[in-house]
Amino acid sequence: MLSYILRRIVATLPVMAIVALFVFSLLYIAPGDPAVVIAGDQASPEDVERIRQSLGLDRPFLVQFGSWVWRILHGDLGTSIFTNLPVSAMIGQRLGPTLSLMMITLLLTIVVAVPLGVVAAWKAGSLIDRVIMGFAVFGFSLPVFVVGYMLAYIFALELEWLPVQGYTPLAQGFWPWLENLILPAIALGCVYIALVARITRAAMLEVLQQDYIRTARAKGLGQGGILFIHALKNAAVPIVTVIGIGIALLIGGAVVTESVFAIPGLGRLTIDAILRRDYPVIQGIVLLFSFVYVLVNLMIDVIYTLVDPRIRY
Amino acid sequence: MDRRTVLKGLAGAGGLALTGGLAAPALSQGASARTLRFVPQANLANFDPIWGTQYVVRNAAAMVWDTLYGIDAQLQPQRQMVESEETSDDGKTWTFKLRPGLKFHDGEPVLAKDVVASLSRWAARDPMGLMIIPIQQELTAVDDRTFKWVLKQPFPKMLYALAKNNAPCSFIMPERIAKTDPFKQITEYVGSGPMKFAKGEWVPGAKAVFEKFADYVPRQEKASWLAGGKQIMVDRVEWIVMPDPATAAAALQNGEVDWWENPIADLVPVLKKNKNISVDIGDPLGNIGSFRMNHLFAPFNDVRARRAVLMALSQEDYMRAIVGDDDALWKSLPGFFTPGTPLYSEMGGEILKGKRDFDAAKKLLAESGYAGQPVTCLVAQDQPITKAQGDVTADLLKKLGMNVDFVATDWGTVGSRRAAKTPPGQGGWNMFHSWHAGADCITPASYTAIRANGDKAWFGWPTSAGAEKEVVSWFEAKSLDEEKAAVGRLNKAALDDVVYAPTGFFLTYTAWRKNVSGITKGPLPFFWGVSKSA
Repeated sequence: MLSYILRRIVATLPVMAIVALFVFSLLYIAPGDPAVVIAGDQASPEDVERIRQSLGLDRPFLVQFGSWVWRILHGDLGTSIFTNLPVSAMIGQRLGPTLSLMMITLLLTIVVAVPLGVVAAWKAGSLIDRVIMGFAVFGFSLPVFVVGYMLAYIFALELEWLPVQGYTPLAQGFWPWLENLILPAIALGCVYIALVARITRAAMLEVLQQDYIRTARAKGLGQGGILFIHALKNAAVPIVTVIGIGIALLIGGAVVTESVFAIPGLGRLTIDAILRRDYPVIQGIVLLFSFVYVLVNLMIDVIYTLVDPRIRY
Repeated sequence: MDRRTVLKGLAGAGGLALTGGLAAPALSQGASARTLRFVPQANLANFDPIWGTQYVVRNAAAMVWDTLYGIDAQLQPQRQMVESEETSDDGKTWTFKLRPGLKFHDGEPVLAKDVVASLSRWAARDPMGLMIIPIQQELTAVDDRTFKWVLKQPFPKMLYALAKNNAPCSFIMPERIAKTDPFKQITEYVGSGPMKFAKGEWVPGAKAVFEKFADYVPRQEKASWLAGGKQIMVDRVEWIVMPDPATAAAALQNGEVDWWENPIADLVPVLKKNKNISVDIGDPLGNIGSFRMNHLFAPFNDVRARRAVLMALSQEDYMRAIVGDDDALWKSLPGFFTPGTPLYSEMGGEILKGKRDFDAAKKLLAESGYAGQPVTCLVAQDQPITKAQGDVTADLLKKLGMNVDFVATDWGTVGSRRAAKTPPGQGGWNMFHSWHAGADCITPASYTAIRANGDKAWFGWPTSAGAEKEVVSWFEAKSLDEEKAAVGRLNKAALDDVVYAPTGFFLTYTAWRKNVSGITKGPLPFFWGVSKSA
């Protein structure tokens, strides 16, 4: 297993290098010029050119790319064109809110979606099943920002239970931290919960038709034991897979959610950087996200072996 | 007990278990009242007001850095850091003396050498500063509090240049910082203004914090825009960036923020209904909507094509697209200068008045030789003002029988593509949309968009000898009457040659919680005099 994990980690390096080259090339050929944004509306073309030169944006593609790769290899993600701050520091500032949001959403999803899927499979064809799956379709169909606005309107403006926006670090208290994340996590989690609930139901239905479940029932094992000990464990592989893949959804959804709830996370940083053509920041974030994807895939593969001992590498 | 208290209690119990009892710092009501939470118009992405000239940077900088002079609500330059000034009889030598006791935020005194370095850096980037540099003989510190600006010829608008509020303002920084190349960003934010920038709390894109500077000595006069006694009534001002207007509106209603600089027109009715919120016009100088036609290429290299568009355009259509049905927010503008200001003129504005004449416009367009070639119209979809104007223009051009190549993109792309002087089919363009702060359109001095000096002019590169002649006339004017006459002629010449197309004058609202007082109308949010009760 250890050698497998090491092989996988080594294999990520060329993937990340290709991603880096792709992103860098894409930004290079994309229209838009940060120097124009910096210089403002009153600036002359000469001013814009001088800013471009001072930022090194006038240099050839290969020189810029080479310089960037060299810095990355030395652990330096570069400096933001706009804020003049290290990209690593900017990402560090924004990592906490995004990780918190993703963690709460993931927790919410597992706690809500898996039991719902199990119950739906257990009561397949019944009213309960139809209601749960109806909600799943509803949750899957609603855009994150619509759910976000609805939640903010009901729970923040009308009922005044929770705040509309912002983020408070955990170090300033658990409740201040949590209260800012409840609504965004529900908004972001809707699609995710729906997806995981449906997959759980499908996987459980398949497992519940297996002979060993019938045997367990015949031996008089209780329904809870059958569902959560025998069936769920054997249905776990597709569920774990979809939860892992869902992290990609979470990152995408976080971009919108963080804007709607004014959370200063990586999603908002990404959008701001793209709109301003802050190339070093975009490149740094993309590299980070690529790394996260690779890591999540690796973790899923490892979890497979834990939930299903038949899987070996 | 309400549900929120219950939720807090439950979460508090869970939190104790999970975190081992981390407690939230309790802010007393008094402390809360000493912090003003403000939602600015945009993100404060950088903080060098000379390097970057965005309005939001200028607005934040006005708290941190002071200026030698400040423009007041009557649009007159008033002494600010300066105690006195003298002009030589020939008008070529200006000698200025600083107020005593001025201090930077690092505790160092403000000296004449700091001013000299700051003005040198500012002049290299500012349109008016760039007019001074060629006629400058020397700019030197005479002693710690006195500095001298010797020119080769008189520059009557000197005090206006030092006081003006359009970016870049002539902010005074310590010499070591002001010696930074004007095209490189400063990294220290030390000013002598009424508030200090809390760099450690800065999260670009999310939050910027300013703290009251205890050693600031305000002038004795009443505050008026950038002039007078800048009395800070709160301990902290927190800028909370909210890219989503609906979230900003909800946060204001919920009391999570105190003041929202520029609520969008669609949300104003909701805010007005809330008994805890005041809504009023923010900046009486408003904005001038515009689209620019590229004078270098067909069809708009022919003045008849440009005039045809002007004859047909309805400013009401543009303004309603921007501000909706609120008639208090807009007015038609048969000219280029800000309504309600001393130099405002409608001379030559007939082409924008009265019933729109499509038949005559089509005839004129045909006379210009337009033969159905595509008209590349750049529209930034991510800016509501440009998006609204772009939609109206597309409709207008189609009605005129033009073949519109509507390029819907983002502001970053428009910003770079509009600088291309290549033909429209090869990466260039025919039209793009923008708007200008009314504060920048009061005089020709700060009005880049009105200049028509060909290659040196703003995007679209208009050439109008008549307009340029009158800009010079205004600079040389010796009285207000002469200035008015020159600007009247400039207005006419610019309309005759269609330097650009004004789409109307519009205002925007600002909104704040009713426990906040002292907010004044002006071209930027002024934080002096603003207080907040619990």
